[in-house]
Amino acid sequence: MNILITGASAAIARRLASALGDRHAVTLTDRAAVDGVENFVRCDLDHDDATSDLVRGMDVIIHSGRSERGGSVSERLDDAMRCLYNLVRAACEEGTPRLIFLSSLAVMGRHDERHAVTECWRPAPTTDTETLGFHMGEFICREFAREHRIEVVCLRLGELTWNSGEAPPSDGLYVEDAVHAVERALSADISEGYADSRSYWGLFHIQSSVPNQRFLTTAARTALGYTLSAR
Amino acid sequence: MNVLILGANGMLGPHVIPALEEEHTLRLTDINDPPDTPHEYLDVDVSNLDAVIAAAEGMDAIIDLSVLRHDRRLAFDVNARGTYNACAAAVHHGIERLINTGPHFTIAGPTYENSDHLIGPDVPSQSGTNLYAITKSLGQEICRVFTENHDLHVLTLLFYNFHYGDEREGFGKDFTPYNVTWKDAGEAFKPALSAPLDSLPSKCETFFVFADLPHGKFTNEKAKRVLGWRPTDNLEDFWHKRPSEGRTRGDG
Repeated sequence: MNILITGASAAIARRLASALGDRHAVTLTDRAAVDGVENFVRCDLDHDDATSDLVRGMDVIIHSGRSERGGSVSERLDDAMRCLYNLVRAACEEGTPRLIFLSSLAVMGRHDERHAVTECWRPAPTTDTETLGFHMGEFICREFAREHRIEVVCLRLGELTWNSGEAPPSDGLYVEDAVHAVERALSADISEGYADSRSYWGLFHIQSSVPNQRFLTTAARTALGYTLSAR
Repeated sequence: MNVLILGANGMLGPHVIPALEEEHTLRLTDINDPPDTPHEYLDVDVSNLDAVIAAAEGMDAIIDLSVLRHDRRLAFDVNARGTYNACAAAVHHGIERLINTGPHFTIAGPTYENSDHLIGPDVPSQSGTNLYAITKSLGQEICRVFTENHDLHVLTLLFYNFHYGDEREGFGKDFTPYNVTWKDAGEAFKPALSAPLDSLPSKCETFFVFADLPHGKFTNEKAKRVLGWRPTDNLEDFWHKRPSEGRTRGDG
């Protein structure tokens, strides 16, 4: 597969590129240059030919939704909304069949921790810029999927945990599990369970099996074949 | 009440200002040349967070009329981030009431409008991906998130087509069943400003504002029930056949 991964400045994007690079042709991109990254194409994700050129020929786009570039509130919201819209619209126009949007379980963060929160529960984000950005990103992707212009697999990732030796938070997601979930999302049939109708929108909660695990991952296990590695 | 009107010098502003100016002290902002107005006027780009926060100082309510429809960058800057800025400014100053505006398809996009009837303002948003619709819809969703996290009430008034009521072009030919006169549209802002906040069903309420039309495509019932707003001109000449057009060849 030809795979484009956005947000190359974010560690998870580079980790995914490393993990997927053995079996796929992976391109990384970001709005600013990122040193030391192979197969990198800088792109502003504007409404222009550069964005169309970037996505042309891709089989899957993985939008990491993350950046380590910083920036003002306005700049980060611009990333989260306008740039994502440009990316997805270009992908639709170029015929990219699937987008994997790496959202965050933070959009469900205001639900009571005692509740068995699944994908059926409505989002409950705060106005924290990053969380609001994920929520707005889901909104944009869902509208494109609703129009059947592109398949979107939305993975709400738990708080990424890089060191297995650390005590993870209740919504913790070990990076290995995140990579596994994305690998499964590359080609999983997200219409499973929809009888004869085809679904263009698949929404899944992804976290690791940690003490006091906050979110249920049944849907991901069923539809994506997401399994939790022993640790 | 001290009221900040963002985007006051656009299409709707000149019809909102006369409806409010007798009862309220208005501070108008826009990026256009200042209008001939007795009211305070500030040059404010709604996409500039700091400028919007500064403009909102000392205000009791904010009305956001700003809109840009076509240019992709400007549409996101104004319709989505501009609404964020209005919400953030309200929270910053402890302003409890924000009146947001937009087109009806921020909620009732093609997936509703092409198929359904009696569409009300409380259905889940399905804006579709049209630039104008989705950017305004993002702004509206931002409002909702702010109301769920802060001491802020947002009343969103949704419009579509406007008329003066005395145009002759289009009479007898029907129209998109979501029209209102400019005057009635302006009048809707009065109850939106005066409705007791604790009387509203929730902190985030949306209203379809259009004339009493017979199509049954959309419903303005909520604006009348909750705000007490009443259209005074139902634009009958547009949806009544003209006498000479009642029969055409082949009708028998």
